[in-house]
Amino acid sequence: MRNKYVFTAVLLLAVALGAALFTGVYAKSQEEDENKVTVVTSFYPIYIAAINVVGDCSGLEVINLSEPQTGCLHDFQLTPEDMRLLSGAELFLVNGGGMESFLEDTAKQYPLLKIAETAAGLELSSDGHGEIHAGEDLAHTGDQGEEQTEEMSVHSGDHGEAEGNAHVWMSVGTYRRQVAAIAEQLCAIAGEYTEEMKANASAYDQKLAELEEQQAAIREAAAGSRIISFHEAYEYIAEDYGLSIGYEVDLDEERQVSAGEVADVLKSIKEDGISIIFAEELYGSGLAETVSKEADVTVCYLDTLVRGDYKPDSYLDGMQANINILQDTFGVE
Amino acid sequence: MLEYGFMRNALIAVLVITPLFGLLGTMIVNRKMAFFSDALGHSALTGIAVGVVFGISDTNLSMLLFAVLFALLLNYISGKSGASTDTVISVFSSCSIAIGLAILSKGGNFSRYSSLLVGDILSITREEIGYLLVIFVVAAAFFCLCFNWLLASGIHRTLARSRRIPVGLIENLFAVLVAAIVTLSIKWVGILIINALLILPAAAGRNLSENMREYHFFSILFSMFSGVTGLFVSYYTNVATGPTIVIFASILYFATYLYGQRELTGRP
Repeated sequence: MRNKYVFTAVLLLAVALGAALFTGVYAKSQEEDENKVTVVTSFYPIYIAAINVVGDCSGLEVINLSEPQTGCLHDFQLTPEDMRLLSGAELFLVNGGGMESFLEDTAKQYPLLKIAETAAGLELSSDGHGEIHAGEDLAHTGDQGEEQTEEMSVHSGDHGEAEGNAHVWMSVGTYRRQVAAIAEQLCAIAGEYTEEMKANASAYDQKLAELEEQQAAIREAAAGSRIISFHEAYEYIAEDYGLSIGYEVDLDEERQVSAGEVADVLKSIKEDGISIIFAEELYGSGLAETVSKEADVTVCYLDTLVRGDYKPDSYLDGMQANINILQDTFGVE
Repeated sequence: MLEYGFMRNALIAVLVITPLFGLLGTMIVNRKMAFFSDALGHSALTGIAVGVVFGISDTNLSMLLFAVLFALLLNYISGKSGASTDTVISVFSSCSIAIGLAILSKGGNFSRYSSLLVGDILSITREEIGYLLVIFVVAAAFFCLCFNWLLASGIHRTLARSRRIPVGLIENLFAVLVAAIVTLSIKWVGILIINALLILPAAAGRNLSENMREYHFFSILFSMFSGVTGLFVSYYTNVATGPTIVIFASILYFATYLYGQRELTGRP
């Protein structure tokens, strides 16, 4: 009988030691450099913008909260490690506009954490027909946008309840404003790198401006065309190119399509004579293929720019690929 | 890690709920009710769906009401029906999952509830800890007062009845208790694995014990050990807490199984 208790004690001790050893090794491999100022970004497009602004500034460390393949954050759940990461952060850069549903809880947990919503001040599209308006006091200046950053909302403790289409990075113009806002916030917490970061932001903004120039040529050829969109994010693309959306199905990781909706899409194609569909390859290809079998339509698989690797040029490459597809579709050289 | 409010809540919840899992697990394993408690876990989905339909904002309440109703109805029908108990449980389980999925997936938005499948440690609130403490007291009182009756009715129902034990009442009370504990833990443990927490510590305890007292002691010890170790490890390794606890409980089960086998074969 005694053997049994000895065995149990040894077993529990061994398991506890094994667990402690395992977590110790794991935690050591995850240790952060305490001498650096930690900036946490909520998800992919914000992270890419932030690393472009930070560049080689060694005193700043940018960490992304979600994985690069997470996509949109509508139902993202914070893990204990995320909470720990945020507790040590100097600044939390988020998109805002309802994209990060966990913001309210985060602000409650960490009332002193500085949360910067980069989409604040931009009027979000909400009517489903591709209208986005820059706030009047946020007129785009074409340079690094120092003027508008006063409008950036920075919170200690609460955040705005803005709701609408939060996929603002899909428009190059509004993404440039987000980059400028991010640069302003980073300069505010790491003043010693102001010159370097402003130069980085300026160089990045220049590359984005070149994309906008290419967009202008497509806009001339495509303006007024009607399309069908399979993702809410394409409302911003439609606005950039002056397109109007005849029918929209918002397909993403949290949405399955019903047979009735397929019929509605086909009806819209037939009645309105629409021949172009914007779809995301990951979640929209199933429906797009079904529709293209039934009707004569061109499907443009456009990148929603929320997934990829952590290369600084990811946004530029993704947006360039989208532009190339649209050039082909609308016959622009 | 205890500087964070959510981890303090989680630790308190683990310390309150794991002894209960250990205690009830022994009886569930004895009475061969593993499938029953699994079905109860699945009924949580329907409970939430019913809450959504009737506009009940506190999903704990709608889950609890539905689970209790589910448990009592299941007990009643399996007592009356000619079909075997596992068939009746399977029918109830499938039916309730289907209703839950149908309502919650309306409009294609099931993923909003997918965290229920694996659990979310950050979801434990002070209010839920209060509920857990109440259930802890009720369960302890129930076990102190009715343990012999419960055991007797589990061993032989007819014999228990002949000794004037209210078998039906005892079984219903036990089912309600299991329903309450499963419902209140499901949000952070997860539907997919909640049953493992009820079964594994008790099964591991059974591998070692020779009498009821030992059985309960080992079951509660293993349950609490897996709970606390799982919580700590999941915190430092960024893994969901429910599955981590179950992994530790499984390790204990297999180790005790091997020990038990060796003891059996080693005996003269």
